[in-house]
Amino acid sequence: MSTVDNLSERLEFLQGTLEVLILRSLQIGPNHAYGIGQFIEHNSDSEFLVDNGSLYPALQRLLQREWIASQWKVSPNSRRAKYYRLTPLGRKQLTVATTKWQRFVEAMGRVLAPKGQSNA
Amino acid sequence: MREWWSKLRRTLAGRRGLTDDLAEEIESNLHLAAEDHQARGMESDQARAAARRRFGNPTLIGEKARDTWTFPRFESFLQDLRYGARSIRKAPGYSLVVIVTLALGIGANSAIFSVVDTVLLKPLPYPSAERLVYLAETHAKAEGISVTWGNYRAWRKYNHSFEDMAGFQFDHLTLTGRDEPLFTTAGEVTSGFFALVGAKPLLGRVFTDEDDRAGANQTVVLDYDFWTTKLGGDSKILDTALALNGRSYHVIGVLAPGLRFFPRAVDYYLPLGLFRRDSTPRDKHGSMRVLARLRPGITLSAARTDLDQILQRLAQEDPGPENDHRAYARFLADTKTEDVRPALWMLMGAVGLILLIACSNVANLVLARSATRAREIAIRTAIGAGKGRLVRQVLTENLLISAIGGALGLFLAQWSMRVLLLMAPRGIPRLQETALDFRVLLFTAALSILTGLLVGLAPVFTAGKVDLTKALNAGGRSGTDTKRARSFRNVLVVAEITITVVLAFSSGLLLRSLMTAQNTNPGFDPSHVLALELVLPSSSYKDPQSVQNFYDRLLQDLRTLPGAKEVGAVYCPPSAGDCGDWWYSIIGQPVPAKSDVPLSLFNIANPEYFETMGIPLKEGRVFTAADRQGAPQVAIVNEVIARRWFPKESAVGHSIKFGGPYQEGPIYEIVGVVGNVSQEGLDAQPMPEIYQPFAQRPSEAMVAMIRTSGAPNALAPTVRRIVASLDHNLPIQSLRSFEKRVAATLDRRRFSTMLLATFAGLALLLSAVGVYGLLNYWVTAREEEIAIRLALGASRETILRWAGWQASQLLIAGIALGVLAGWGASHWLDTLVFGISARDATMMIAATLAVIAIAALAAAVPLTRATRINAAVKLQRA
Repeated sequence: MSTVDNLSERLEFLQGTLEVLILRSLQIGPNHAYGIGQFIEHNSDSEFLVDNGSLYPALQRLLQREWIASQWKVSPNSRRAKYYRLTPLGRKQLTVATTKWQRFVEAMGRVLAPKGQSNA
Repeated sequence: MREWWSKLRRTLAGRRGLTDDLAEEIESNLHLAAEDHQARGMESDQARAAARRRFGNPTLIGEKARDTWTFPRFESFLQDLRYGARSIRKAPGYSLVVIVTLALGIGANSAIFSVVDTVLLKPLPYPSAERLVYLAETHAKAEGISVTWGNYRAWRKYNHSFEDMAGFQFDHLTLTGRDEPLFTTAGEVTSGFFALVGAKPLLGRVFTDEDDRAGANQTVVLDYDFWTTKLGGDSKILDTALALNGRSYHVIGVLAPGLRFFPRAVDYYLPLGLFRRDSTPRDKHGSMRVLARLRPGITLSAARTDLDQILQRLAQEDPGPENDHRAYARFLADTKTEDVRPALWMLMGAVGLILLIACSNVANLVLARSATRAREIAIRTAIGAGKGRLVRQVLTENLLISAIGGALGLFLAQWSMRVLLLMAPRGIPRLQETALDFRVLLFTAALSILTGLLVGLAPVFTAGKVDLTKALNAGGRSGTDTKRARSFRNVLVVAEITITVVLAFSSGLLLRSLMTAQNTNPGFDPSHVLALELVLPSSSYKDPQSVQNFYDRLLQDLRTLPGAKEVGAVYCPPSAGDCGDWWYSIIGQPVPAKSDVPLSLFNIANPEYFETMGIPLKEGRVFTAADRQGAPQVAIVNEVIARRWFPKESAVGHSIKFGGPYQEGPIYEIVGVVGNVSQEGLDAQPMPEIYQPFAQRPSEAMVAMIRTSGAPNALAPTVRRIVASLDHNLPIQSLRSFEKRVAATLDRRRFSTMLLATFAGLALLLSAVGVYGLLNYWVTAREEEIAIRLALGASRETILRWAGWQASQLLIAGIALGVLAGWGASHWLDTLVFGISARDATMMIAATLAVIAIAALAAAVPLTRATRINAAVKLQRA
């Protein structure tokens, strides 16, 4: 099998990250699954590779929590596609998750920063 | 919560729409991706291929996405169950063999477990029964002898180990003053007894300390069954009186139903203290034993030490001939079952081994089948089934099949238990209460799950890594027939043969023991004897002379009966057990140390007894009419005593002292030696026995033995009339043919032997199936190889030798191990074997030969098939 993408060099999603990223991608407007995957890859400078085996189940889970809703629509190049959009509940969840992630990232950064700098 | 609700709604709405929807969404996204690639300059075919490659497995992704809507574990379990049921139906032959094998194994275990559970494991039906203790006295020569009143009183007063104590014994009294004199059984107990066994009165009250002392009013508490069946269940019985042995007892209460403590049914209870004087000497023994409940946290040995210290103190304060007596204490539950325990555990072990054989048979079948299913599994792996998922599915399938086997086994157990209880000998405590209850169900369920796991894991263990390409290409079974699987299968069959040898050997030993016991010369002729058992109530027969007069007249009358050839009388008839032993010594022999004084059974017989029973006179003479009261005291000994003390000379003319050299006792002259009689049953070693003439030692309790010319029972009505004509108030204790009674002493042995033999047969059958299965598989897997060998010029004989060698190796290994294991385990059978050694080499050889014969028979079919393979046809097909 040819290896188009070398998976080992990409970042792995931490538990729950993919769902937050999906919500974020829908903040700019409704999108279909392929588009969501593309959005995440582009905006992470291809550090994240979205595996469809994770993406599709994650979308279903978000639907079950009613954080997103879906609808069949016709795409700009006149193809029927299933579009997802944020629900008010999902929007709220995104705000909560974003704050949490920022705190998490900052905390990780502080701990991992070279010794002596933080207390200087 | 919201998630669950969504899922549930979706589940109820049905999932078909979801699957289609997801498929469509994936398809449309694939197009979107392809268009994207095209826009970047790819050819449309290339773009579509790239999109597909990049996307992954659409089916698997769709399934994973859909599964988020389900409760996946449960659903995949249901799916596995459905799949399992389908594969059971698909291979009905295989499934039937597996289910029947497991049903046999599990059924036998459930049946025997239910018996073991009821008889041995379930607590006795008394409060805090696990702390109830049976107390008696013990000394160097005898264990568990009766407790004297004085010792009991001291124990009860000074011990620190027990919550309470009660003395108990039973006695036989005659109830008169009603329609017919009734021979009744009394439980004589001290006042604490009822609280210890948790018995409550239904009417009135039970004994208090006030009732339980010398000089108190004579009171009686009725057993429920006796009250309802014999006294009409009338509640006005309270405050009336019962005439027992001619004395009047005041009825103060009736017990609630269900108290069972004494080995035989008790009709009523009397206060034991009523018959005891506190001034009685401390070495005066009756038949009382003591029931006591340990304080929580006190061990049995600590309690024993406590009681021993009390006895030692008493020995200093009040020295006597019994200063060396110590306390005998055992848990009540142990004493009730000790004589059946070895046989029951042996049977439990046997069925456990059978289940092992059944399991290895099934494991072998499962292995063989999983080899043929290797291709199916390879395909499923190739299209994306995870290894864990596959293991789970195989396990579910096996659990399903073992659950069916277990359910069928339960039916088998239910049925066989009914047969078991019908065949069972009497007198095994609580055996008749055996039922398939919750505990047995639980046991069976656990056993089924365990066997399912054990059997289901066999292919998982042996599979190792499955090489997909190889399995798919080979298209046959060689794919997973790893070396590991092969040797595992061989080990299973060797284990089966080992176990079978052990079981065949043990059951052979017991069968030989039974035959030996049945053919043992009992020392007398039991055929055509009618035995009449009587106990004269001391109230009407106050002095020895009246007792003697009664029996003299009775025997005389019986002799006049047409059909009665000879009539004798004895105190303790053969196979009645131990009716009492005592010390003795031989005058003129070296005086033994105090702890070495020999014991002998003491018996009483009239002059005609030996002739009537066909007991051979070896030396001297039997009793005569001259051996009466006032004449020199005489005795007859059996051969055990004669050979022990007088190996070279005649015992006649020597004297024997009753009680041994360390206490007062009469001296008897030995006038004769008679043959040994199996006093305790056909499968017991003969004991030393001393007979005294009835005329010199009249006993109220005697058994008249009537040798008849026809069927013994035909005489029974006339015998009853004769007894009634002599004393119409005298109840007959028993009147029956003696032969049955003697044969009945072997009932238990016959029962456990037949069960074990059945199990050994089952083991033989199952391991034959195992050998057949393994060899059949071996031949099938090598059909091509055999065909090639044949084509290259190998003779059929060579093939037979080659295949036969495979089978022989396993058989030799199994038998070698079986002989070792059987030899090692045989000491467990020591208590059950009679007349032969538990290491009987002949029996081992016989067992081995039986196993070889059965294995050879089982191997013959596949071996013949191996030689009949048509090389041309087979190779063409391949």
